[in-house]
Amino acid sequence: METKVKNEVKPYMNPYLAGFLLGIVLLITFFITGRGLGASGAIKSTVITVVGKASPATAESNHFFAEYLKGSPLKSWLVFEVIGMLLGGFLSGFLSNRLTLRVDKGPGIKIRTRLIFAVLGGMLFGIGSQLGRGCTSGAALSGMAVFSTAGFLTMMGIFGTGYVIAYFFRKLWL
Amino acid sequence: MGPLIPQDIISGDLNFFFALIIGIAFGFILEQAGFSSSRKLAGVFYGYDFVVLKVFFTAAVTAAIGLFFLKYLGWVDFNFLYVNPLYLWSALIGGIVMGFGFILGGFCPGTSLGAAVIGKIDAWFFIAGMFLGVFIFGIFYPVFEPLHTGYFLGNPFIYDTLGLSQQWFLFLLIFMALAAFAVTQLIEDNSTRFKELLYTQKLSVRYPLLFAFILSIIILFLPNQRHSYANEMSRNDLAAAILSNERYVPVEKVVHSLVHDVRDLHLVDVRPVAEFNTFHLPGAVSVPLENILEKTSEDNLTGTGKTTVLYANSSDKADMAWFFVTREGFKNIYVMEDGLNKMYNFLFSTPDTLVNNNNNMTPEEKFVQNARKWFREGSVQSAVKASMPAPSAAPAKAVKGGC
Repeated sequence: METKVKNEVKPYMNPYLAGFLLGIVLLITFFITGRGLGASGAIKSTVITVVGKASPATAESNHFFAEYLKGSPLKSWLVFEVIGMLLGGFLSGFLSNRLTLRVDKGPGIKIRTRLIFAVLGGMLFGIGSQLGRGCTSGAALSGMAVFSTAGFLTMMGIFGTGYVIAYFFRKLWL
Repeated sequence: MGPLIPQDIISGDLNFFFALIIGIAFGFILEQAGFSSSRKLAGVFYGYDFVVLKVFFTAAVTAAIGLFFLKYLGWVDFNFLYVNPLYLWSALIGGIVMGFGFILGGFCPGTSLGAAVIGKIDAWFFIAGMFLGVFIFGIFYPVFEPLHTGYFLGNPFIYDTLGLSQQWFLFLLIFMALAAFAVTQLIEDNSTRFKELLYTQKLSVRYPLLFAFILSIIILFLPNQRHSYANEMSRNDLAAAILSNERYVPVEKVVHSLVHDVRDLHLVDVRPVAEFNTFHLPGAVSVPLENILEKTSEDNLTGTGKTTVLYANSSDKADMAWFFVTREGFKNIYVMEDGLNKMYNFLFSTPDTLVNNNNNMTPEEKFVQNARKWFREGSVQSAVKASMPAPSAAPAKAVKGGC
């Protein structure tokens, strides 16, 4: 799975250039919609819709899933934005010849270990992004751009924790 | 002007179209930057690849600078922007949980999407985990709810929380980002691990970064910002406020407040400083009309705990001042009706002889008589006298001069 065809794969974009372009996209998003970018919100909309369809009783008794009753959560801004993200990511991978089925992992662990921890990490991000009212994009990045205290706090929570615990999980990546 | 959709400048139906386009750009840039590789992302915590920090901070700072200038120019009304609400412990603990998720999973939600579509199987598992996590959160919501909705502190801005001006904060943010870039670049260059991950376009960014530094200094020394733009009154509200006469406080009330030392009024003299120095009402502060919108005048208009009353020689100038500050969103500002001229007439138009006859006086005449005496002699109560700002010209005479 780790085979690479280096001649064909294009280099990554300069990170500062990418950051600048991303900042411009974020700025345009604020200017047009009044809100920043997001990603985790679409996951939430999907989960709420599925649960609401499967068990309307749950939606009625639970404040979290009750949002389903307010209208169709799948027709939200973030869902369309995330569909766009999937298209954009694919387009970029296609143009740079990075479309390959593979598992990225640190050299010291098995593929199975990597996948188990990926699920665990995703789960924690799922829970954390609900508490943080957004993930790295919606809470931290967009929150920082509008100078919100909540955005800075969540950003420091994410990266501060990452640095504190990185040592204990170094086997996963080093 | 902006933001466009919340103010119905462009139709909300276009919203989803923009969402799609913006999403494509967002996803494209994340993938181009290398955010589709969990190993590159994790590098930020282990010092071999700082792409996360570089992209993330550059984007946040770029957008923050952009919004700062759009606000400064009055092109974006922050009132319509979504400023993340602060539920203190929820935000912090959520961040900590996400920090664990980042190290364990190697992705964050946005990055996992681009990775998944280009065939990263670990990203598929991460996304499955996210669905599971949100589901768990939902099912156990009654457990999370007190944390999730507790400790609500409004929608504060970070510079207010830190007690800095927005300009100073932005300057420090840019400075810190540049310092972080320099330090992490050193660490990255000295790391010997996984050099193949740093397969990045060669591009000198010296000048853009230098430009960012110069920009941060310019921001610091920008002249007075258009303050409280976000609170600006709507046209209709303003028109209604102008047409109503509710802003006028009669001269009698001001006189009463002064003579009886009620101290419920915060008097603001909007005449030129020279006129203020010749004479002003006791306890009044000077904020000349042309300075009324300066940031330094703000403390004299609001937050004194008293009713703010603007005055000039007549209503005209005070009305103008009132119009400016009301438009900017200041509330509970009043105007002394017909100004000092009216006050002078009120106090001194009747001849002294009439009121010398104490027995025949009506309460109104008595009031005028006492007020006149008070203005002539200065305050009978030393406390008031002490609070009178210098210079203490003979009030009665000066009132005349001021008119």
